[in-house]
Amino acid sequence: MIRDPFIARSERWFRLLLRLYPVDFRDEMGDAVVETYLDRARHALNRGGIALLAFAWLRALTDSLWNGLGERLRPAVSWRRTGRWGRDVEFAWRRLARAPAFSLAVVGTLTVGLGMFTVVYTVVHKILIEPLPYADPDDLYFVWRDYGPILDLKRGFLAGTDVVELQKAGGMVESAVGLQRQLRTLAVRDDTDPTEIALAVTSPNVFDTLGVQPALGRGFTRGEVGPGGPSVIVLTHNLWNRLGADPSIVGRDLRLNGERHTVIGVMPPSFTFALHVRLGPPQPVEAFITFRDDLAATNPVSGSYAAVIRARKGTPPETVTASVNAVGRIVDARDFRSRGLKLYPVGLQSDLVSHVRPALLVLLFAGAILVLALTVNLASALLARTAQREHEFAVSRALGANSLAIVRATLFEGGLLGGVGGVAGTLVAIWATRTLVLLAPLDLPLRDSIAVDWRIASMVVGLGVMLGIVAAIGAAAWISRMPLSTLLASSAVRGGGGHGRMRRGLVVAQVALSLVLLASGGLVVRSFDQLLRADPGFRTDGVLTMRVPAPAQFFPQAPDATRFYERVERAIAAIPGVTNVGVTNALPLTAAGIQMTIQFPGAPGNSGNPERDMPLVDAISTGPGYLEAMGIRRVEGRTFDPSLVGKVREAVIDTTLARQFFPGRSPVGATFQFVAGNQPPFVVIGVVKQARLYDVHQDGRPQVFIGSEGARFLSLAIRTDKDPRVLIPEVRSAIRRIDSRVSLSNIRTMDEIMRDALRQQRISAVLIVAFASGALLLVAIGLFGVVSGSVTRRRREMAVRLVLGSDHWHLVRLVLREGALLVAIGMLIGVPGIYIAGGLLRGMLVGVSPSDPFTLVVVALGLALVTMAACYIPARRALRIEPAQLLREG
Amino acid sequence: MDRDRRGIDQHLPLRGVEFHILLSLAAGERHGYGIIQDIGARGETTVPDVGTMYRALARMVENGLIQAVVRRAAVDAGDERRNYYRITDKGLRTARAEVRRLETLMRAARLGGLLAKETK
Repeated sequence: MIRDPFIARSERWFRLLLRLYPVDFRDEMGDAVVETYLDRARHALNRGGIALLAFAWLRALTDSLWNGLGERLRPAVSWRRTGRWGRDVEFAWRRLARAPAFSLAVVGTLTVGLGMFTVVYTVVHKILIEPLPYADPDDLYFVWRDYGPILDLKRGFLAGTDVVELQKAGGMVESAVGLQRQLRTLAVRDDTDPTEIALAVTSPNVFDTLGVQPALGRGFTRGEVGPGGPSVIVLTHNLWNRLGADPSIVGRDLRLNGERHTVIGVMPPSFTFALHVRLGPPQPVEAFITFRDDLAATNPVSGSYAAVIRARKGTPPETVTASVNAVGRIVDARDFRSRGLKLYPVGLQSDLVSHVRPALLVLLFAGAILVLALTVNLASALLARTAQREHEFAVSRALGANSLAIVRATLFEGGLLGGVGGVAGTLVAIWATRTLVLLAPLDLPLRDSIAVDWRIASMVVGLGVMLGIVAAIGAAAWISRMPLSTLLASSAVRGGGGHGRMRRGLVVAQVALSLVLLASGGLVVRSFDQLLRADPGFRTDGVLTMRVPAPAQFFPQAPDATRFYERVERAIAAIPGVTNVGVTNALPLTAAGIQMTIQFPGAPGNSGNPERDMPLVDAISTGPGYLEAMGIRRVEGRTFDPSLVGKVREAVIDTTLARQFFPGRSPVGATFQFVAGNQPPFVVIGVVKQARLYDVHQDGRPQVFIGSEGARFLSLAIRTDKDPRVLIPEVRSAIRRIDSRVSLSNIRTMDEIMRDALRQQRISAVLIVAFASGALLLVAIGLFGVVSGSVTRRRREMAVRLVLGSDHWHLVRLVLREGALLVAIGMLIGVPGIYIAGGLLRGMLVGVSPSDPFTLVVVALGLALVTMAACYIPARRALRIEPAQLLREG
Repeated sequence: MDRDRRGIDQHLPLRGVEFHILLSLAAGERHGYGIIQDIGARGETTVPDVGTMYRALARMVENGLIQAVVRRAAVDAGDERRNYYRITDKGLRTARAEVRRLETLMRAARLGGLLAKETK
């Protein structure tokens, strides 16, 4: 046929034009379209020769341009428009349902892993990320004073006069409030049981500054403050609930330390507020009242006020710092003779969370690594499954399924698995988060608001889907890149595919990731172990403690309060089983106490440097019997003598002070005095080991113990040879009998106080160990799969080796060597990760260096042991190879 | 029955090219070029182009109005790559419903005097 060359050229042209259509359309309709064009081309050639053929070409071009674009924009077939999700889901679902063990294992792993991650993420999100429940919270700052030049105190409270200066500052500082956290005895009526609540004594503009108004009633008015102002109180939603959630409470009276206060408002449920206690982390407050004192008339050199300022909307932090510094310079010049005491602002949120941020970041980091390990694990599982199904893929490819469809199906399957895992993980996390909050430190910021919400849930489900899709990329890439011929050829030999290298790579990644997690876990556990072993300086067992305040409203004269405590001590000492009882204003590990500067005139250790010779100490008021009740260790001298109370000014100092001022000599009999206030000196009668006030594992400021005469807000320490909690009812009724107005609060044993002090470390350790164990399990599973696949694949080769004279154990070693190589490479890659993790961990490790060689070697050995065990079990299958039979089969 | 009715109604009104395709297939199985030739033979001034028609075919297969026919034994060599189509029951009913719809329109047009001259 003479016209054939034209038709052949036409066909090439039409096929080229076909490229303008999307691939799906091309696959389905391409041949028919070309054939139809050719029909028309033949027709044209027959009728009008080359000229008409050229016209047909041109017409085909415009047609393809137009419809190709049209098809891309609005695919004709609906499932390409919508992705035909229904059918894809159905197919993927059916495929997964046909492999229930695989699906359950994958979803189970994802559920646990994503569940753990969700818990950690929820805590981090609620504490570090979610804005505080105030208007424009980024414009709110705490203001602190750096007492550096005169005291070892970088973060000190302000004087009332400083707050007044800040309020007058204007400029970028829109408003300022002073705040004091106080504990008061609350009684709803005279005849109800009193309780102690924490409240913020504050300036009347506190709610305007925070930008939150009461949900019920009103806030303070400008005039409701100062001496002679009305006694009004605003309750938090929490306290209002505890008092019975009565909406008609507004306008009614409550008694605080016996004084009548009128409830004027109740804050909304979302509102919480926390305030730093002296030197400890922030603690929540439950109600607000206003200052009775005139702030401008307070002592300008005694700091006891926290200050919150609101900057003009959107002011950059540097500008706020400059404004606050400027105020600081004015008061420094006026009140401190320009000795360089600075005022500085800290963002409200970052200040409230600063004590938990390092631990949270470490946990988030560990969680992220766990998610990576999960992804790698899923990728490996999907790859293995794809390899098992390569026969199926080969057949469907041979039948004309395009590789794009297979890739899409693989990715979809991964996404579906990840999504299901995400949903299940979220459900687990909802429950787990509740449990975690119960175990969390009591002063964890925003503790009550920590729960999985729909935003976190949708984020986790999205993360699951993404994780699944990313994990499926490896499998999809492998299946689509594989030429059909190879696929068909290798599927004839089971497990012979080229996915092995990819899976080995994934195992290396898993080893690296789990090494990082295990190292972090090991370090955190070692650090926690150090904390548990630490000697806090007292005996924790068998001690019951409680706060028993004696406010001036109930005991107008100081001696009345002292007499009250003496009666209480006598009554409790009479309870059977009580061996010692004593009072103090600062129980160990509660960061309470009063800070004073002291001096030892004439002591041999004085250096002439006033800063060193006048140290800031924690002055702890105690009654006789307290040091014994708490089990604080006496090093020399004696403790307080009950018969001398009130007659002498005696004191006990700790070993730190004794070493500094009386090196190599006994301080007993020496005297010291407080630098402030013209008080007579104290005589040192004994030396004790420090009973740690702040951290379990390290000494805090030096301590002096002085008498408790006249002190009003004391706690009881009761040592018993019984279970301390058994004593509670008897102690309660004994105190009731003496004075029923007094409240008992914070009833805890010293063991509980110790546990509470370690809650954060305990929870971090538990979580991180859980993460690390999870990662270890994942790597073991991964290695098991790879090695067992490798044994299956190399059966024939091994049989040949056996025939050629090698023995079975040699084969096992061969397989093990392959596994060991992967582990070794993974560990090498993981080493830099350990350094990064170590840098993050530094802030939360106690007594362990982030590069502690012992821990790291143990972790590496442990990982090697577990991974080699995971290799050995499948490797043993090489022992069962029967060369004769195997080779005959082949 | 009611659901069936709605299933058909959702395809109405048919595009010109779709109606032509149903019309051709109502007479028997056709391949793409056959349909184009049919349309040309009907004297329609704008015969749809190849791409337009195959997109319509794909859409109608998806909607169940027509179906691809398993290839017949090759009558001639060129036939083996052609797709043949057949009208389905649903397609037939849809075509009839479209005709009824057009009839109604025509009647309305006549009553409105729009078609008066031409019908006379």
